[in-house]
Amino acid sequence: MLVVIVILTAIGVVCGIIIYVVNRVLPPEDEALKKTEEISNCLPGMNCGACGYPGCFAYAQALAKNPELISESTCATVLQNQEMLEGLGSALGIKLNPSIGKKALVYCTGDTRVLGDYSGAKSCKAASRYVGGTKKCPYGCLGFGDCVEVCPEGAIHMDKERNIAVIDPEKCNGCGLCVKECPKNIIKLVPANTKIAFLCSYDSLKDIPGREKCDRGCIHCRKCYKACEYEAIVWNKEKAIPEFDIEKCTLCGACVKACPQNTLTEFSNILRKVPV
Amino acid sequence: MNNLFSIFFALAIANNFILVKFLGLCPFFGVSKKLSNAISMGAAVTFVMVLASFATSIIYHYIFVPYGIEFMNIVIYILVIASLVQIVELIIKRTNIRLYNALGIYLPLITTNCAVLGVTLINTQEQYTILESIVSAVGGGVGFTLVLIIMSGIRERLELCDCPKAMKGLPIAFITAAILSLSFIGISSLM
Repeated sequence: MLVVIVILTAIGVVCGIIIYVVNRVLPPEDEALKKTEEISNCLPGMNCGACGYPGCFAYAQALAKNPELISESTCATVLQNQEMLEGLGSALGIKLNPSIGKKALVYCTGDTRVLGDYSGAKSCKAASRYVGGTKKCPYGCLGFGDCVEVCPEGAIHMDKERNIAVIDPEKCNGCGLCVKECPKNIIKLVPANTKIAFLCSYDSLKDIPGREKCDRGCIHCRKCYKACEYEAIVWNKEKAIPEFDIEKCTLCGACVKACPQNTLTEFSNILRKVPV
Repeated sequence: MNNLFSIFFALAIANNFILVKFLGLCPFFGVSKKLSNAISMGAAVTFVMVLASFATSIIYHYIFVPYGIEFMNIVIYILVIASLVQIVELIIKRTNIRLYNALGIYLPLITTNCAVLGVTLINTQEQYTILESIVSAVGGGVGFTLVLIIMSGIRERLELCDCPKAMKGLPIAFITAAILSLSFIGISSLM
């Protein structure tokens, strides 16, 4: 009996001592590695690759080297979750707010005329290969909803009346899958704190007059540029379209009112149907 | 030599841990969804099995037998396996971070896997020598990996198949496992 107790205790103690010795003898954990692990614990860990790195751990390694990187390529899932965002911010030693993210925006109002009946495959890709699409404007949303299918967040829905894809900025996580999917390249990623949305993909470098093709397209009248009192709109002379300075914009709404085509709208208002 | 071969194949196929002895069933269903996960899990289990068999058979032959306390084997084996896995994890983490990331969660998961404890108890039961214990552990690990790979290959295809809604996911996997098990038991009756 005594032998059993002694041997059991001895083996237990020996195991404990071995673990202790191994722990002391081995080189201590690298400082950089510790930080990388701390950061990687704040990440979702599903290795989606939307940040542009092969997996969450590689992303954490890059962030540990250069925390500033967060503003260039932000983890879309973390942005959605306030708790995770704060955790990542404290791991990096930077204060993060949700506005560093990106949102997808469809650069089209969808009011271009339909050319005629189309009975081919119900897919934007197929239609755009065929005759460049069913809309009069070659830069218009085709409305078959290829982007709806790829959205992992279910943030995109088709507006039946206007026959156009609308992206909910609240749900969008800025992953950019729809940007790649759109055969017309009219979905772009914009900063999450964008104030005014310019809903037209046509510019002067493209060789069709906007007015002929679409009731709502930009006609390059510069009224928005003149209406802005805060110099928040810069006129791009080459493309003849307005460009917006988020810092200076006060969201006074003067440009939205001034636009004769209703091409402009408040970004927060994007889901509601804009009056024609 | 012949003896070693027969031990290896007995544990790898005829007395397969998962499908014939029904040990280690949680990783069998938990980790068999993807082929890549199955392979790393199988490799980790084989590695731990070999180490555990080696350590426990040394303890058995040089401590238990001389003092006549073979009946305490389960307690000691659990203790030894758990601390062994801890040590191995520490060493891998500090020396080779890439391997640590590749093995990931699987290494600590195996600490209390019944297949690992099972192989050491079988070694004791069959009175294997140290070399035989290691060979049986390799056989058991290879068999475990083989079944995990077969199952994950099937399950990857099952995801795409058109089966009734009530059978989707685990139910169809259980049925598949039962048929696989029947076929392995069939092999054991041939030998």
